[in-house]
Amino acid sequence: MRLADLLRTTAFRWSAVVAGAFAALSLALFAFVYWQTAGFETRELDAAVMAEARALVAVPADDAAGGVRHWLAADQHHVRYGLLVGADGRKLAGNIVAMPPGLPVDGRPRLVSGIDVTGSDDGDRDERDETMRGLAVPLSNGSTALIGLDTDELVHTRSVLLRAFALGLIPTVGLSLLGGMLLGRRALDHVAAIDRAIARIMQGDIAERLPVRGTNDEFDRLARSVNLMLDDTERLLEEVRGVGNSIAHDLRTPLTRARVRLERSRGAVHSADEFQGAIDEALQFLDQTFQTIAAVLRIGEVEHGRRRAGFGRVAMTPLLRDVAELYEPLGEDRDVTLELAIKAEVTVFGDRDLLFDALANVVDNALKFSNSGGRCRLSVAVEGATAVIRVDDAGPGIPESERASVLKRFYRSDRSRTSTGNGLGLSLVAAVMRLHGFSLRIGDNDPGCRIEMLAPVGPDAELPAGEQVVGLAPHGRSVVGAAGSG
Amino acid sequence: MARLLLIEDDDITAAEVLADLDERGFAASRSTTGPDGLARARAQPWDVLVVDRMLPGCDGLAVLQALRCEGNRVPVLILSALASVDDRVQGLRAGGDDYLVKPFSLVELAARVEALLRRPAELPQTWLRVGSLELNLAAGSAKRGQRSLELLPREFKILEYFVRRPGQVVTRAMLFQDVWAYNFVPQSNLVDVHLGRLRRKLDAPGEPALIENIRGVGFVLDAPR
Repeated sequence: MRLADLLRTTAFRWSAVVAGAFAALSLALFAFVYWQTAGFETRELDAAVMAEARALVAVPADDAAGGVRHWLAADQHHVRYGLLVGADGRKLAGNIVAMPPGLPVDGRPRLVSGIDVTGSDDGDRDERDETMRGLAVPLSNGSTALIGLDTDELVHTRSVLLRAFALGLIPTVGLSLLGGMLLGRRALDHVAAIDRAIARIMQGDIAERLPVRGTNDEFDRLARSVNLMLDDTERLLEEVRGVGNSIAHDLRTPLTRARVRLERSRGAVHSADEFQGAIDEALQFLDQTFQTIAAVLRIGEVEHGRRRAGFGRVAMTPLLRDVAELYEPLGEDRDVTLELAIKAEVTVFGDRDLLFDALANVVDNALKFSNSGGRCRLSVAVEGATAVIRVDDAGPGIPESERASVLKRFYRSDRSRTSTGNGLGLSLVAAVMRLHGFSLRIGDNDPGCRIEMLAPVGPDAELPAGEQVVGLAPHGRSVVGAAGSG
Repeated sequence: MARLLLIEDDDITAAEVLADLDERGFAASRSTTGPDGLARARAQPWDVLVVDRMLPGCDGLAVLQALRCEGNRVPVLILSALASVDDRVQGLRAGGDDYLVKPFSLVELAARVEALLRRPAELPQTWLRVGSLELNLAAGSAKRGQRSLELLPREFKILEYFVRRPGQVVTRAMLFQDVWAYNFVPQSNLVDVHLGRLRRKLDAPGEPALIENIRGVGFVLDAPR
């Protein structure tokens, strides 16, 4: 693991930000404390030197030298400084070597630096370049007194505060950064584990899942979400594989027949007529495969959903009439009556061709599965805000347990194995319904099957209100497809 | 002899199609690429063009569009593996006269090429006559000889389609596409059932069949010379 990676982790970055903010805050706090303490101490010093100055001014000017000496003599801690200079500039008393040049003689305390101190009286101090809080006052006889107190206390306070500041800050910042690094490292470890899992998934191990540590942290939650997504993907892949297998199987059956027929004919057939017959049969089998491929592609086309662009208002009455007219002869051929019952004029929003296709498929199935002498019924009605297009047949019906499966591609009930068709009809219907946002319901006709397509009618937000649609109803009658049509 | 240009890049398909069309009496030539096809289509007059869509280097539709832009009105049949409704609409919009999806049967191709060559004139006619058949388009009534036929509206439309194409092979797909006008491929033998009904009404017992069923191909209306 590279250090640069570690420093880039969110955990470390946040730790660094927090440490920086904490340092800034501590600095502000200590600065405030120092400012307050230093101010207090300075005022104390100032008060002391001003009291002494007042005392010096109060005594007769000629006794001032004694006063200065006395003040210096009472200095237990070597913090007092004093100087008395006569009117002629001569030093009269004190431990300061000379008056600092440019110091205003106004009796106001200020910070005076660069003063040299002699050990004049006690002989034990001889220092240069001292700093003090001091003031200079003029005395009545023309001499000047300089009184000061050492600022070492202030410096000491400052250094104590600085040390406290450092002692508090360095471990805090250090610990923050260290914690950040540890957290970052943990995160990196987790990310590395997830990376490895993803690499395995990408190599094709689709059953692999992201590691979940059970700590319920944000990584776990993310990993769980991704795992759910992977479950879904795996299921979809499984389904696609299933469909692929079904297609392959459905194609293989007629292809096998064609192959066998051709192969056998090659040796066994002698006359031109026989050859033609064999070839015709083989062509029929090939055409079956093409039909299956076309049906699969058509479902794919519908499921892609791009066709919504071609949607418009479709009057159901003429559409139903067309379907009924198209299939009525087929019913007659099979001795099944096909009835049409229009109980309401309904206009839906959709694709005319696809709706026709879907309806034709359902009717085709109904006729195919109905028993001879039976009765199929194609009807449309409005129930509440829903248009119900219903196809009832007189066949064996679909058991409740199979109703979900019949909508799957290539599903064929065992009972229907013997009949023709590629098992794609109802899945195409389901795809068309999904594209339109309609629902498909499979129910009982007792006996027989009832298939219902439920479409919303009434105010349609997607259409300009009050628009008139002239349908293709026979007898020149126009079908008005306004909202709630009737 | 009708001159036909096939623009198709697949050698095997093209060879079979050319041989088949040759046998049917077309003077068919072939071009393998779009640019070459376009050049040859421009170089001489053709009676019909059969254009594949996915050609090396370009879409067959581009060739078609170029020709239409130049005002060339030659009938064009588009051949394509692209089967979706959108693709079909695109092809017809680009100026194609018919659209045949791969895989196709040679018979279907020949029937459609024939149909393009003998496109019925869209004249405002009232009467159509073929042999003993007589259709009154205005009244929607039909007679065979002196016998009037009781036809449903759809049956009349089917018969009209045949009468406009006497002696011409009409495939099931053509019939469905043009008479029903739904973009839909019926699963069952619907067209045959409808035709069977129509034929029972057309031919009284003892009369020769007017519409013949050509096995595996389609139907043809007998056109007496």
